[in-house]
Amino acid sequence: MGINKTVTRRSFENKPESSLLKDKGLIKRFTDRNSEGRGKLYIYSSAILMIAAVVSITLFLTLQGLRSFTVDHLNIWDFLTGSEWYPDRAENPSYGAWPFVFGSISVTLLAALITTPVAIGCAIFMTEVAKKWGQRILQPVIEILVGIPSVVYGLIGLSVIVPFMRHHFGGTGLSLLSGSIVVGIMILPTVTSIAADSIRAVPDSLREASYAIGATQWQTIWRVVIPAAGSSLITAIVLGMSRAFGEALAVQMVIGNARHVPHSIFDPAATLTTIITLSMGNSTTGSVLNDALWSLGLILLVISYIFIVIIRFLSGRRNAR
Amino acid sequence: MVVQLENNVSCFTGTPAVDTPVLIDAENVNIYYGDNHAVKQVSMPIHEKSITALIGPSGCGKSTFIRTINRMNDLIATARCEGNIDYHGVNILNPKVDVVQLRKEIGMVFQQPNPFPKSISENIQLPLKFTGERNKKKLKEITEKCLRQVGLWDEVKDRLDRSATGLSGGQQQRLCIARALALKPDVILLDEPTSALDPVSSSKIEELLLELKKDYTIVIVTHNMQQAARIADYTAFFYQGELVEFGTTKTLFTRPEKKNTADYISGRFG
Repeated sequence: MGINKTVTRRSFENKPESSLLKDKGLIKRFTDRNSEGRGKLYIYSSAILMIAAVVSITLFLTLQGLRSFTVDHLNIWDFLTGSEWYPDRAENPSYGAWPFVFGSISVTLLAALITTPVAIGCAIFMTEVAKKWGQRILQPVIEILVGIPSVVYGLIGLSVIVPFMRHHFGGTGLSLLSGSIVVGIMILPTVTSIAADSIRAVPDSLREASYAIGATQWQTIWRVVIPAAGSSLITAIVLGMSRAFGEALAVQMVIGNARHVPHSIFDPAATLTTIITLSMGNSTTGSVLNDALWSLGLILLVISYIFIVIIRFLSGRRNAR
Repeated sequence: MVVQLENNVSCFTGTPAVDTPVLIDAENVNIYYGDNHAVKQVSMPIHEKSITALIGPSGCGKSTFIRTINRMNDLIATARCEGNIDYHGVNILNPKVDVVQLRKEIGMVFQQPNPFPKSISENIQLPLKFTGERNKKKLKEITEKCLRQVGLWDEVKDRLDRSATGLSGGQQQRLCIARALALKPDVILLDEPTSALDPVSSSKIEELLLELKKDYTIVIVTHNMQQAARIADYTAFFYQGELVEFGTTKTLFTRPEKKNTADYISGRFG
């Protein structure tokens, strides 16, 4: 060790102007055409900007969202569990967010329930059954579905699904189920393509192993490939759910926007996002209603973070295996 | 022609072949991957309850050939096979053959150990469940029997419910052999089963194969000539898609007829 050190030092002493030695001034580091500094500055500042955006959104939403409890003295528990949302009532206005929390969660779960079987079926089709032309047809279809603006989904829901519901189940047709179906179709491509990726990631050696012990194609898919894809398939579903949870426009057009907890899936309902988009324009900054809407936004953010934690947990478990 | 063997194959300890009846008889087998003619006009017998080794340099078609015996090449879209491989009076290559049933009778073990990412017992039981076996007692019995057969029982009996991916490479490979045994096949095909393993694990597998050949017909592809010399009764030498020479291991290693064979087994190329 010691010998090596002296040798290195001596070689530097012999060539003091060696290009190996990096000793540039702070300013020159950025002005030099070939300097590392510029690249580093660019990359680091992008990363910091991104982190700053997330932190400031979170902080801002938290501060604004907590105003209804700190400034307007609403009770947190009553706000979360109360089922009466009458901010416009002249005497004794009430702010109960439960119908919207319930609406958001049930739209998300129902949409996942509707989408999952179809998405996994499609994913299996394009990865296992008809690899070539399944891929060739379904891939563009998925891309088109992703690209359609949500207002178009809402319009189609309004003109196809809502009349269908009205005709077969009575009522207005604007219902929790209509909203769930529209959102379910919206998240279908997301879930399908992530599920297909996770099925493709299953090593071929497992398929070979399965065929070599006399498994049929279905047995291989259900007993070997799907279990091996396991947690990444769940990640696909959770990602779809987090998208469903945040969707506002299309849901708002078909869900009926009722401010009470629905009695059945055929009743109209509302979600956190729909009530925010509907009421925000009518509220004045600093009013109790405005603060209460920010609080709804904060709930949305918290639940989205929970989704992210679940996804991180699942993918962490996958990597650990 | 008698060839002076060099040191690397002088460790020949192969058991003298007992002339058992022919179980699988390949005749004029040609295999193509698209335009690539991978196996050319191969004809060779596989004798019952013996070990047949396929040797040859990389890309010589030996793996392609062995994968045709249980139709694993069906999984490769571009692969195409011609010729006749007789097994119990049926041509294996006939498109009407029930490949699922065929693979239950002719099992296979691969180069990389590929246990399912499930529990150890589940790995053995899955092939049985595929055939519709539900009886738990029977499943447990067969699990124990197969694990004992491959000498894995004492090592894993306390952790049958743990994931098979936690086993060592050699243990995983023996588990894969046990899995292939679960359906009591006639034939076990092994495609370079020890090339991913350390020497100790490899020799355990070799001992195991010598034990298994009492009840099973074994075909093994190997890169390792000493391995063929140690365990095989019959050896086939493949070169550039052709079967250069087939014979009892003793004959092939001590009095090869073709110059190519002699060059290969004496380590001059490959």
